[in-house]
Amino acid sequence: MSDPSRAYKWILLISSLVTLGFLLAAAARENVTAEWRHVQKDYQRILLAKAGDATSRRVAGQFPVEIRQVTVPALNTVDRCVSCHLGIDDPRMKDQPEPHRAHPKELLKIHRTEKFGCTVCHQGQGAALTFHEAKAEDYFWDYPLLPASLTEASCNSCHDPRALPRGAAAKLVRGMELFDEKGCWACHKLDGKGGQLGPALDNVGLKTKHQFIRANLKGSQTVWHWLSQHFRDPMGIVPGSRMPAPALTPVENEALTVYMLSLRKRSLPEEYLAPDKIEQKYARLHPPAPNGEALYKQYCASCHDTGLYTRWDKNFQRFVPAIRNPSFVRTEDDECLLANVEEGRPGTFMPAWGPKAGGLSKPEMEALVAYLRGAVKPAELAAAPAGGSVERGRTLFGRNCAGCHGAQGQGLIAPALANPVFQKAATDAFIAETIRSGRENTPMPAFARAGFGQAEIADLIAHIRKGFTK
Amino acid sequence: MIENLKALPQNLRDSVVRYTLHPTSDRERSQATFHNLFLHLQSVRVHRNTLRVAYSFGLGLITTASFVLLTLTGILLMVYYKPSTELAYGSVKDIHFVVPAGRFIRNIHRWAAHLMVVAVFLHMARVFYTGSYKKPREFNWLVGLALLVLTLGLSFTGYLLPWDQLAYWAITIGANIANSPREVTDALHITKFLDVGGFQKQLLLGANYVGQEALIRFYVLHVAALPILMAMLMGVHFWRVRKDGGLSRDETAPRDPNDVFSPTKTYGLMAVVRGRTPAVGRGPEGTVQSWPHLLWAEMAVFMFTVAVTLALSYFFDAPLKEMADPAIPENPAKAPWYFLGLQELVSYSAFMGGVGIPTIALIGLGLIPYLDRDPRGVGKWFGGPEGKRIFWLSTVFGLISVVALLALTVNCGWLRNWIPSIPQPVITLINPGTVIVLLYAAWSLWILRRTASLRLSAVALFTCFLAGFVVLTSMGSIFRGPNWQFYWWPSQWPVH
Amino acid sequence: MFDAGRRDFLGLAAIGSALAALGTALAGVLRLPKPAVLPGPMRVYKLGDPAQFAVGSVVKMDAEQLYLFRDERGFHAISSVCTHLGCIVAHSEREGFACPCHGSKFDTQGKVTGGPAPTGLAWLEVSLSPDGQLQVNGETEVSRGTRFQVG
Repeated sequence: MSDPSRAYKWILLISSLVTLGFLLAAAARENVTAEWRHVQKDYQRILLAKAGDATSRRVAGQFPVEIRQVTVPALNTVDRCVSCHLGIDDPRMKDQPEPHRAHPKELLKIHRTEKFGCTVCHQGQGAALTFHEAKAEDYFWDYPLLPASLTEASCNSCHDPRALPRGAAAKLVRGMELFDEKGCWACHKLDGKGGQLGPALDNVGLKTKHQFIRANLKGSQTVWHWLSQHFRDPMGIVPGSRMPAPALTPVENEALTVYMLSLRKRSLPEEYLAPDKIEQKYARLHPPAPNGEALYKQYCASCHDTGLYTRWDKNFQRFVPAIRNPSFVRTEDDECLLANVEEGRPGTFMPAWGPKAGGLSKPEMEALVAYLRGAVKPAELAAAPAGGSVERGRTLFGRNCAGCHGAQGQGLIAPALANPVFQKAATDAFIAETIRSGRENTPMPAFARAGFGQAEIADLIAHIRKGFTK
Repeated sequence: MIENLKALPQNLRDSVVRYTLHPTSDRERSQATFHNLFLHLQSVRVHRNTLRVAYSFGLGLITTASFVLLTLTGILLMVYYKPSTELAYGSVKDIHFVVPAGRFIRNIHRWAAHLMVVAVFLHMARVFYTGSYKKPREFNWLVGLALLVLTLGLSFTGYLLPWDQLAYWAITIGANIANSPREVTDALHITKFLDVGGFQKQLLLGANYVGQEALIRFYVLHVAALPILMAMLMGVHFWRVRKDGGLSRDETAPRDPNDVFSPTKTYGLMAVVRGRTPAVGRGPEGTVQSWPHLLWAEMAVFMFTVAVTLALSYFFDAPLKEMADPAIPENPAKAPWYFLGLQELVSYSAFMGGVGIPTIALIGLGLIPYLDRDPRGVGKWFGGPEGKRIFWLSTVFGLISVVALLALTVNCGWLRNWIPSIPQPVITLINPGTVIVLLYAAWSLWILRRTASLRLSAVALFTCFLAGFVVLTSMGSIFRGPNWQFYWWPSQWPVH
Repeated sequence: MFDAGRRDFLGLAAIGSALAALGTALAGVLRLPKPAVLPGPMRVYKLGDPAQFAVGSVVKMDAEQLYLFRDERGFHAISSVCTHLGCIVAHSEREGFACPCHGSKFDTQGKVTGGPAPTGLAWLEVSLSPDGQLQVNGETEVSRGTRFQVG
């Protein structure tokens, strides 16, 4: 009789051998061929080669091959980068290739590894033990290793970059300047200040790639690549975006990217904050006397440009009013200008800049108004003619004004006259004067030249005040 | 004293081993089986049919072996795992990166879990198609169903523990399926008085969101409550297999008149085990000694399971995505693969797909042995050639109807796309899930009318459901991408 | 076992390889509970510029569990962990170290003078790290009386 278990014996034998094989292979993969073991053995060879005297030869000979890590309980990090980057604090390793090289710029003297670890500055996956997994660019980890060219971004977490020694964080400082120069504040909020057309940028540096629309992003799928590509062509990366491309040189592009990456709202223990950072926070609470021109550049210039002429904005398909035009500021008093700045034009692209909206303080807005006014004093305006007819006004308006201001004063290419803030801030005298004399350097003509007399102006004012259907 | 010390090794061994480890006669072999706690779950002799690979495919044993593997690796993982929302992810990363053998052991845990789910499904199909649920095995079929539910429950609870994006969003979806009876209670305006969904969800999560409370609940369920329940039910399951006469086999074949099983002679004492009792002094035809033949089979299947699991674990790491972030939903957020069939149905109606249809299916499965009382066809795949024909026909019908229905919904949408103002209760009642269930039921009734055989109509229904399960599961796993849109392959998914 | 008759090489080989596989698996499993890398901070402590410690000073380092001494002959570090059962010993200039838990006493050099402690307190290796900081290695003991001279 044949053995009924013969087949099972074969299965058992083969399965056991396969099991054994995979067990041994897995053991070898972990205990013999692991990447960090090779690196540590190489490092030991370098140590031996560099050993000058008997003591250092002995130390090198006893160099243990083991996993090394820096635990920083205060930052909640465990960084095992030092399992391969063994020579970071050893000046003898300056000439060695990575990963053995000493940390450049002697930064570790002031940022001791034991206190800071690695990932707080460099990001990346500190828990990992292979370079690919630590770099984590195409690995499941939110914060991949920052390229060396962008590491400066991390300085901002604990320092006021402008207070650092010259050149210590040059790109970061340049990025901050660019943010002011390019008028990014006009649309983006930082620390509660800024416009509302674009998203607030407070935490861009902590966003993960999954929070960006990457459908049109070619190449590396990192946040920094997204940022730099987006600066190059905002509407190409985010379809439907109205952000203009901020003309940047490649160097400037990188600087602004660094600044964006540095925007991280995370609570660090106070002992980690440099004194200059604390000063920076203090300065925000006690700002120096505001500078109207600088404020104008930051918050207004990206739409109004110099403000001396009416500008056609491609993205918004609008004429942007010439707010520093002498013929305009002459007709408005400070109170009127301030109201316009503070409350904006609800429903249009002009946001309110008051403390509760755009975050500008009263002194800042006053400085801004002073800058808008320049040397032009408000003129004594002739009182507006009264007693006009809404009916006649409607006809006149429809024929002469609706083409630009919209039939219901909703504003087409010219300002919205039905807008409640306009209705509140603009006096009848101001409206009358504007109709009469027009606005130089803008498409608004002087209707006095077209034969408008007091009666027509009175009719128009009556219509503008009462005739628009809500 | 000295002599006793000299005899110590021998006495120690004798005290441990109740009988011999080297049986030489059949009697000794029987004793060796009988005197061992673990082996006495088996009868001392088994029918040759039990050892036939093509009959059972060892699926029950594979399931058991996976459970053993899962228990062992699970205990090891518990050594390092920390069930807290702040530490869980880091501890799993540590297991992955630095714990000695940690990555491998976690992979084994993952793959053994997949294997167990697959094996338990196939085991159920095998038991069904060989008619092994019939008298006297009806109750063990019910125990098996409970074990299936427990297996899925264990898998599901384990899914949350790594606290990564995959886990977080899969469990969020799962918890909201538990919440889905609200779809019905809301429509009836009785949620205020009878909030079954909200109750289930809170019971599961301990909160209205997936957080620390949910994690610790899932942890307790995963490492203590469910495994203990599972082990106990497995004990019952094995005991009933043994007491209900071992693996089913065809007992209608004409018997050798000289067979030692005498139909008239019984021994009262041994009648505690079902089946006829053998005449004294003769080995029954067609059976072999459990020791060693059944043992060889068991060891082989166990080791085979281990080998397969290890091979998979060596090449494919268990997934671990980014840390859970309630602000960024995964897109698509998918449940574990064995729930993706349900998730496909859920995409039409959360209640019907997530609660209604699974309940109907479970009740239907539980009723099978009590509706089909025909004792014929036990121990034969599909109960014979007629059953096989019905099986193939039903497979074709089941596949074609579900694929056609899915093609329709993918291309033309469903009721709400056609009549946007349609009230939700109508969709809850009429959706691709219920339509497919009705189609299958109709098919099975038609088979019943044609053949007048409950058994064949059950084969038809079961086969249809199996086909539907396979198609819906692949639909959910492979062909659904971001926003639950249809894609031919995941590589076509847009980056979002 | 299992009817492994003289000629059942197949059965023997199968059982043997199965046992070998299970044995290897067991070895792997037993490796797991012993951590490959210990959690917590490194046991090599960098204490900063040596110049900040005045000659004649004694500094108790709580986190590092050691006392750092500097006298005319140089630096030395004595572990503050009692060799009996691991309590932290107190130090006084004149009487040396005393353990609060079971009354072990050590002289100023860390030698046992009373109580149940089996050995004296450990002297830890003091050195200069490559980047010029004073460094104590909590893992390496040196013989009693060893001093470390800076420069």
